[in-house]
Formats: sequence, structure tokens, C-alpha cells
Amino acid sequence: MDNALMLKVREGDLDKMGLLFERYHRELFGFLYHMSGQPDGSEDMVQTVFYRMLKYRHTFTGEGSFRAWMYHLARNVLADFRQKHKRSAQQYDLANYAEKIAGGLAADEALHKEQELAALREALASLSPDYREVLVLSRFQELKYEEIARVLGTTEGAVKVRVHRAMQELKKFFFSIEQ
Amino acid sequence: MNCENVKEQLPEWLNEQLPAAERAVLDDHLAGCPDCRQELNATRQLWQRLENIPTPEMRPEVRTQFYAMLGTFKAEETARQRSRWTALVHRLLPWWKPQAALRLAYSLLLVAVGVAAGYGLQYWQMPPLAYKQQIDTLSAQVVEMRQMMMLSLLENPSATERLRAVSFTKDITDVDGRIIDALLTTLNNDPNVNVRLVTLEALVELAGDARVREGLVQALTRQESPLVQVALADVMVQLQERKSIKPLRQLLRREDTNDLVKAKLAQTIRELS
Ligand SMILES: [Zn+2]
Repeated sequence: MDNALMLKVREGDLDKMGLLFERYHRELFGFLYHMSGQPDGSEDMVQTVFYRMLKYRHTFTGEGSFRAWMYHLARNVLADFRQKHKRSAQQYDLANYAEKIAGGLAADEALHKEQELAALREALASLSPDYREVLVLSRFQELKYEEIARVLGTTEGAVKVRVHRAMQELKKFFFSIEQ
Repeated sequence: MNCENVKEQLPEWLNEQLPAAERAVLDDHLAGCPDCRQELNATRQLWQRLENIPTPEMRPEVRTQFYAMLGTFKAEETARQRSRWTALVHRLLPWWKPQAALRLAYSLLLVAVGVAAGYGLQYWQMPPLAYKQQIDTLSAQVVEMRQMMMLSLLENPSATERLRAVSFTKDITDVDGRIIDALLTTLNNDPNVNVRLVTLEALVELAGDARVREGLVQALTRQESPLVQVALADVMVQLQERKSIKPLRQLLRREDTNDLVKAKLAQTIRELS
């Protein structure tokens, strides 16, 4: 279905990109947001990804899924973004965390939850992009290992190992922040 | 199955991506190994907590911006296509219509013709012959108006307007010498390549006229643009115009002719000889 739409875009029916936008912009935003931690930057990146889909529509062969191709482009956009915003990207989560703590009027339990969430974000942000990526793709985007393997250009086995290691790392960071 | 393998499979277990058979083996191990069960619980807790990280809503402007971007992209794409000769003819056709305002002027004029005719019949009781003459006069005026409009539009500084003017020839039933002269002048002198290409296409439609064929042959040595040269060569093959062999040879010998064009010319000459 999505493949057929994208093939139409490739043949020159550019309006079909509107349907793909409606179907995928939220999911794409989710990926970019959890990878970068920056809502504004992620909105810009969503535009860039759709622009590149139009511009490089000829590179979509229809062999893999449209979704895999979209994530493939999104990763490139994300890499460019990271290159441009090296400093601010790392500061985001800490600033966010401090903000949450400052809103200390909330009930104890709510505060605890907020703190826990902030710790989790920070732990996720501390992971190397390779690890964060497999977690975001499998946990938030609910991609199957097979699809993740296609997006990353690797094997299912390698994805399995990477998810495991990423979880180990996350646990380590999370519990050290929590204490 | 050892504990290390089990721990490696835990995320898959939580992901519900584990095939049933493997899942059964894992469950068996977990039932008998407190260490792995503890690991599972810790991993599961974290896995579930991840879900609590919210994704903010995008601003509605993102959608507006996307459609604006799509619109701009399409417009640019159309402009790019228009400059390509092969795509040109096909893509331009639906777009190739007289300006809406001018069309409206025609419609009004034709309505006037009808009203005048009806009026005449009803009140003046004109004999059928006189009526027909009047209609013919009015029709001639419509043709004349079309021609005048086309000729004046060809002088327009905007290339888009000149393109429209050229497209008018499709609607003009009897093309006279003035129109042919104007089109040939445009083919040889218009500063815009697209206008020259579309003019060439319009002239090919009129190639039944000996003057048009002669003009096209002469145009061969007057064109500087490789695009138009190649298009003209194609036209010569299409028309099987053997008189073009001589100017084609002249063009082939010229030093400033593009190498690709030369290859095309040589091939054209072979096809015509
Ligand atoms: Zn065990």
C-alpha cells in the first residue's frame, strides 16, 4: 500500500506524498524527537525528511518497505542535525531535568514520578546514538528486528545483540542517576 | 541453555518478538533460575517505564508548511520539466490553452454573434442568404481577432505570454502568410529556448505548407542552441525533408557545433540519404 503510493510519487504523481505525510508524520516525529530530545528541531527535521523523499524519490526501488526507506532517510537527516547542533543537543536533557525539579510544588508522588521520568530521559540521552537508536526503533516505533536490520543495513542477529547491550547500558545509567 | 543466552533474549521476550518454541524454552529456564528471573524483572521495569516518556504533539503549522513545501516543489518540478525537450510536448499540452481572460472575450463575442443572429432573424426577417453572410462576416471577424491577438502577443516581453501566443495557432483554422512569417521569425529570433521549441512544434503542424517547410530548412543553420538543433534534426527526419541534407552538412562542418549534436546530425543525414 505505502510502497504503491511511493512508487506513484516516483512516477511523478507528487500529490500522493500528501497521503504519505498524513500517515507517517507523527511516527517520524516520534523517532526524531526521541533521538534528538528537541521538539522544534524535530519538526524541522520532519520537513527535511519529506523534502528529501520528494527530491530523491528515484532512489526508492520498492524492494524494501517504504517505512524502512523513510527511516533510512531520517537517520541521515538526524546525522546532519547532530553535526550542526553538537553542543545544544547534549544540554537539552539536563536543562529539562532542572526545570522539572524546579516545579517542586507538586505532591510527593507526582514529583517522584517526574524525577523518575527525567532520570529515564537522561539515561536514554546518555546512551550512544547506536544504542539509543535500536531502543527507540523497537520500543517507541515498534519496528520488528527484521525491519530494524534493514534500516541499519545489518543482520537480525546483530540487532538482537545490540538491543540487549543497549538495555544493559540504560539500566546502568538509570540506576546511577536514580540514586 | 545458559544464563548468558537467556539474558540476551530478554528484550525479545519483552518485545513479544520471540517465536513460541523459543519462548517456551526460555520460560522453562526462568521457572528454575531465580537469578534470571530477577534480571527479567529489572529489565521489564525499565522497558515498561520507557513507555512513560511522552511524545509531544507537533504544532499544526507543520502540516501547513509541508503542503506549502509540496506546492513549491511541484512548481519547480514543472518548470524543470518544461525545459526538457522530450517532456515538453507531452506535459505542456494540457497547460497549452489561451489565457482565461482572452477565452472569456471569445465566449462573449460568440454569444454576441448568436444574439445578433437571433435578433436579426426575429425582427428583420432577413432572407436566409443575408443571414448566412452576416454570420460569415462575424466568423471572419472572430478569426481576424484571434490572429491579431496572436500577433500582438508574440511581441510580448514575457516568454510565458509568447508561449501562449504560439499555442493560439492551434485554434486558428486558416493560417495565413502573416502568421507563418511571425512564427518563423519567432523560431529564428526569440531569446527564449522554450518559446523557440514550442514554435517549432507549432510549425511542424503546419508543415503541409511549402513555405513552412522551406522556413524550417533555412532555420537549421540559424540556430545556436543545441536543443533546438537536435529538435530540428528530428523534425527533418519526421518530415523526410531531403532538402535539409545540405544545411545539415553545413552545420556538421561548423566548429562551434556541439559534439553530441554532431553525432545526431551525422545520424540524421544517414537516415535521410
Ligand atoms: Zn539463568
